Amino acid sequence: MDAVEQAATKEAESSIDLLVIVLDTNPSQQFVRQSPQNLTQVLESIIAFGNAHLMQKAQNQLAVISCSHHSTDFLYPVPGRQVELRQIDGQYEAFSLVEKTVKQQLGNILMNAPRLSSPCESLLAGSMTMALCYISRLQRNVAAGAKMHSRILVVTGSNECASQYMTFMNVFFTAQKLGIVVDTCALDKTLSLLQQGCDITNGQFLKVTQLDGLLQYLLWVFLPAPQMRHKLVLPPPPKVDYRASCFCHRELIDIGYVCSVCLSVFCKYSPICTTCHTIFKTPGPLPIKPKKKKKVEKQM
Amino acid sequence: MADDENEDQKEYRWETGYEKTWEAIKEDDDGLLDSAIAEIIQKAKRKRQVQKAKQNRLGMMRHLFVVIDCSESMSVPDLKPTRLLCTLKLLEIFIEEFFDQNPISQLGIIALKAKRAEKITELTGTARVHLKALEGLANVTLTSEPSLQNGLDMALKTLKVVPSHASREIVVIMGSLTTCDPVDINLTIDELVKEGIRCSVISLSAEIHVCRYLTQKTLGTYGAVLDDAHFRDQLLSQVDPPPAAKTQHNSLIRMGFPHSKDEVEGKDAPLSMCMCHVDNLDEPSELCTTGHHCPQCKSKYCELPVECQSCGLTLVSAPHLARSYHHLFPVPNYEELSMESVPQLSECDGIRKCYGCQKVLSAPHDKMVFKCSHCKQFYCIDCDIFIHETLHACVGCNTIPGVAGLIYQQQQQGGKTIAAETHDMLPSTSKQQRQFSM
Ligand SMILES: [Zn+2]
Ligand SMILES: [Zn+2]
Ligand SMILES: [Zn+2]
Ligand SMILES: [Zn+2]
Ligand SMILES: [Zn+2]
Ligand SMILES: [Zn+2]
Repeated sequence: MDAVEQAATKEAESSIDLLVIVLDTNPSQQFVRQSPQNLTQVLESIIAFGNAHLMQKAQNQLAVISCSHHSTDFLYPVPGRQVELRQIDGQYEAFSLVEKTVKQQLGNILMNAPRLSSPCESLLAGSMTMALCYISRLQRNVAAGAKMHSRILVVTGSNECASQYMTFMNVFFTAQKLGIVVDTCALDKTLSLLQQGCDITNGQFLKVTQLDGLLQYLLWVFLPAPQMRHKLVLPPPPKVDYRASCFCHRELIDIGYVCSVCLSVFCKYSPICTTCHTIFKTPGPLPIKPKKKKKVEKQM
Repeated sequence: MADDENEDQKEYRWETGYEKTWEAIKEDDDGLLDSAIAEIIQKAKRKRQVQKAKQNRLGMMRHLFVVIDCSESMSVPDLKPTRLLCTLKLLEIFIEEFFDQNPISQLGIIALKAKRAEKITELTGTARVHLKALEGLANVTLTSEPSLQNGLDMALKTLKVVPSHASREIVVIMGSLTTCDPVDINLTIDELVKEGIRCSVISLSAEIHVCRYLTQKTLGTYGAVLDDAHFRDQLLSQVDPPPAAKTQHNSLIRMGFPHSKDEVEGKDAPLSMCMCHVDNLDEPSELCTTGHHCPQCKSKYCELPVECQSCGLTLVSAPHLARSYHHLFPVPNYEELSMESVPQLSECDGIRKCYGCQKVLSAPHDKMVFKCSHCKQFYCIDCDIFIHETLHACVGCNTIPGVAGLIYQQQQQGGKTIAAETHDMLPSTSKQQRQFSM
């Protein structure tokens, strides 16, 4: 057992840890509407946290993606602009580079953003698809023999968006398949879809309502590499709400009707499937009576 | 009518596919056979992608028998190390993928040993059972000829009694060029046609007339493999659910999605016993706080999917179902263009970048780029493959408001918001059309 632990520790020391932070910068978020200052505060915490990640190991990598109301953009690194660091100044320069680039990029994005007339949702699931494309490229390019562990940390104060259900699910299954951990730091409400994503990919879900303590929470819960976390005392995993989202209204339901042809979920019985246009032959739902297994199967 | 079209297409696909296959291989004068085959596979994938976009009625609740030839011909080492071992290795991958992509589906395995058929596993939804059985098959003695008919008959007998809303299929992996059948195999084929059981054959040697006839009659697919990579591709193409059969009785099945409600109350669930282990003497039920509760009667179960013993409701996990949704809403194919069509970014020294992975596009490797016709964004070839094969969501369509979410957005186009549709139970046909015009 000890040998296994040792091997794991050794592997963790030599691997490249890639952290991609998806930061919700949508001005519709409750905490931004309270005071725009709050966004600056969150940004400072994210930069400090990103640098702390880079500081852990020389080979660690960082990317920061902004998800705003009108677009998703990389805040760091910026494509084309080679991250050529003068070695003389050593690592310190890398840290100030993150801060400079992130602030400059976000400034540009907010300057060019269309004015927001009413609150609108953050397309977080979409931003995560971009993160996955980026991670998948970096993983393809890893030198033979080297190992890369990747994770995505979503930091958001937005509300739940059932309309992005399918994209979220595709993101979670892809992450699971590629061994990418999804962590979430919710700044306002509990987000049941992202909670499912953390559960599916073995990530951590944390709700922080006090922005003052954000950096401490980030460092405590999200800085340790996922493969080291089992050794730490972390907040217990929340009970995950695995309800389905109906295709007709995008609402979370716990009993519904499933089309046998396409597996679409509906909250009410209807004689035709709106997804695959199938007309159903059975006139009503199954009788709600305890039955022997075989009999029920035949009736279906 | 649609069936004739389908059949023609298959005929066409097979014949031209075969001819082109050899042409392509001959043309490759560098002796790079692998790359030629890789290209054939890539083309086949794209073709399937296009076809996928056209189907919207699929058989998602599948009951499939895999029939494996275990006769002497399977010991031939043209596939490494032998045809049988290569088959078993690929089947392992296939089984994992099958259950990943086809939740609430079932699979069974039949072996064709010396003119007899033997059921290796019954129809079941647990991958573990099949993987274990495959291990056992590795040491089987390979003698004599197979009997295709006996194998088909055995599968037919079980599939006949499967619920009528299920899609019923047989996939045969044949090494032998001949089959030794007790009576006229046409009788079995007619029966399969009558039952609407779709049969596909992957031949490890050359074309076998009766197999091709079988697949044509039952609307399955037929393929002869060129090498192990080609074999893998042919086998994995069976992971995608087939179009719904005509004989399928479609129904809307009431299901429950268990979840825990205690998060709202802010306290832990009380200790309770599960229903699945109540009668199990080997592993008796234990008092614990975890498990899945039936939303109708609150009975508890350890594993999903399950049929509630107290109220009869079928219980499934919602994300489990969601794994298959990409079959219904595939990402539309991208248009292949030359790199020059990508706009240059003025603020970044005129570079061109991939919208997905942010890579700076540069000449030899990124000569061709791919454009989504919905969000108008450009992608590198790696992202094109990643998005269509793994991610199943277009990055631009999901990050740019207005094109966001494709299907949902199309519902809103008619001036209706989603909320306004709450009382609109029977959506108009035009809306349905729009849903699938993507
Ligand atoms: Zn509904
Ligand atoms: Zn349907
Ligand atoms: Zn149990
Ligand atoms: Zn129940
Ligand atoms: Zn790309
Ligand atoms: Zn698109």
